[in-house]
Amino acid sequence: MDLRAGDSWGIIACLCTVLWHLPAVPALNRTGDPGPGPSIQKTYDLTRYLEHQLRTLAGTYLNYLGPPFNEPDFNPPRLGAETLPRATVNLEVWRSLNDKLRLTQNYEAYSHLLCHLRGLNRQAAAAELRRSLAHFCTSLQGLLGSIAGVMAALGYPLPQPLPGAEPAWAPGPAHSDFLQKMDDFWLLKELQTWLWRSAKDFNRLKKKMQPPAAAVTLHLEAHGF
Amino acid sequence: MPAGRLGPAAQSARRPPPLLPLLLFCVLGAPRDGSGAHTAVISPQDPTLLIGSSLQATCSVHGDPPGPTAEGLYWTLNGHRLPPELSRVLNASTLALALANLNGSRQQSGDNLVCHARDGSILAGSCLYVGLPPEKPFNISCWSKNMKDLTCRWTPGAHGETFLHTNYSLKYKLRWYGQDNTCEEYHTVGPHSCHIPKDLALFTPYEIWVEATNRLGSARSDVLTLDILDVVTTDPPPDVHVSRVGGLEDQLSVRWVSPPALKDFLFQAKYQIRYRVEDSVDWKVVDDVSNQTSCRLAGLKPGTVYFVQVRCNPFGIYGSKKAGIWSEWSHPTAASTPRSERPGPGGGACEQRGGEPSSGPVRRELKQFLGWLKKHAYCSNLSFRLYDQWRAWMQKSHKTRNQVLPDKL
Repeated sequence: MDLRAGDSWGIIACLCTVLWHLPAVPALNRTGDPGPGPSIQKTYDLTRYLEHQLRTLAGTYLNYLGPPFNEPDFNPPRLGAETLPRATVNLEVWRSLNDKLRLTQNYEAYSHLLCHLRGLNRQAAAAELRRSLAHFCTSLQGLLGSIAGVMAALGYPLPQPLPGAEPAWAPGPAHSDFLQKMDDFWLLKELQTWLWRSAKDFNRLKKKMQPPAAAVTLHLEAHGF
Repeated sequence: MPAGRLGPAAQSARRPPPLLPLLLFCVLGAPRDGSGAHTAVISPQDPTLLIGSSLQATCSVHGDPPGPTAEGLYWTLNGHRLPPELSRVLNASTLALALANLNGSRQQSGDNLVCHARDGSILAGSCLYVGLPPEKPFNISCWSKNMKDLTCRWTPGAHGETFLHTNYSLKYKLRWYGQDNTCEEYHTVGPHSCHIPKDLALFTPYEIWVEATNRLGSARSDVLTLDILDVVTTDPPPDVHVSRVGGLEDQLSVRWVSPPALKDFLFQAKYQIRYRVEDSVDWKVVDDVSNQTSCRLAGLKPGTVYFVQVRCNPFGIYGSKKAGIWSEWSHPTAASTPRSERPGPGGGACEQRGGEPSSGPVRRELKQFLGWLKKHAYCSNLSFRLYDQWRAWMQKSHKTRNQVLPDKL
């Protein structure tokens, strides 16, 4: 942002930027701080990367479960999956989420999902598949850390660390193997949906955090550029 | 009535499962999402069967009348609809299935047997595990790196494919000290391998065996008895240097250092060297290199790049009588022989040198000598002496051949 000293539009634009960053910049002497922008971008990038990783992992895992689980448009009843955090949300509700709620929902969702993923007791799966699962869990842990970083930068408190034994959403004991397969199916589906949604969540946050371009544009137009 | 393993008492108090209320909910048969709820139960749940056996299954629907009935229900196995002649309606709420001569499970997670409502929605499912009990694993081979650890490999039973997940467990114990131990680090060098990283004893033999277990049974390999000292291997020799031998165009000198990890232990190391021309895939092996750390390769082509590798076998360690185990080959080291001053066989112009015979016979004889050397390349000063002997012989025979030559060219 190239602002000429003394230029009225420039001053307004500068003020807007500072005010916008206030929640994240408690002390005004941090104007050199790039703010949460880079870490939001990083989180966005991570969701895209995870989405890509999940596609391969889910393909392999569903093949391991066997047909009909690996058939397109397979839609079994959602049973144990009721305990999974749902990404699906009304559009208006989603748009009207404030930043804190948006971030908290993401953080809590991935905490739950990670716990379920870790509990996937697939002794029988090939060593290769187990390794891919472990690798994905590590990446997901990274995403959680990244979201936590954004929340800290914006001054929001992290949701209480959830112990592994919260009754509300802890993965249930292994009921029948077939029911377990359905649970696995919905876990992967919900993970996929969350990653799609998170990309949009962080994209939205990214746009909000950007310095307002409008003032700068007007400033340039006024000088015939 | 709901099937499946519950056992909430077995769960820790911190994890009261939501399953019980869930299943009750199912039994009451409340539909959800309009797509048909889990309102049926298949029996048997998750059975394990031998290949070729038969299965009688039932799908019982629940629900308050006039709820769902067995009318219109059908079965699928791994996504394929089963022919209606295999099913029959037992009563108003139960559909039966008879499968004969089952094939091995399509995936190790179990075949998916599903009971569908008329509209195709899933009512219940059961995983079928059809396979064979494991065969005896065999061919166990183990090696110890520098006497610090033990890695073992084995071959699963003859048929390999049991269609069921088979768990392999490598067990070991010291021969006269009773306690069984289980190896923990699997798949270190392939799918059927295990690595024991520490706490290994020397001077007493180990008994090692592999146990294979799956849903249908278990099998145990024969016991292998071995002494750690008999299966020692080491790292490849470090610092392998290959250099020219003065101006000699058919020789290279190879030097290396004996593996440092075993330097404190008394052993007679054996080494092997292999080398190949840059563009070739055929390695030539020099075998009888005992307890030296240098060797001269002879009979090489001039002006050629060679790749050389060395490996070590620490046999006879602490007096062990067995042949040890060869280490991995060292990283390839490259060097080139000097270009030939005189043209090789089929080369261009000849250069005369004082005291040397003329180019014609030299070319022919050099070709013969190189051929002879190739067959006899080995490491010691003997080759050097032989070369000098040959040159002396050449000087002598040059005098007798000189007159005959022009005709033979």
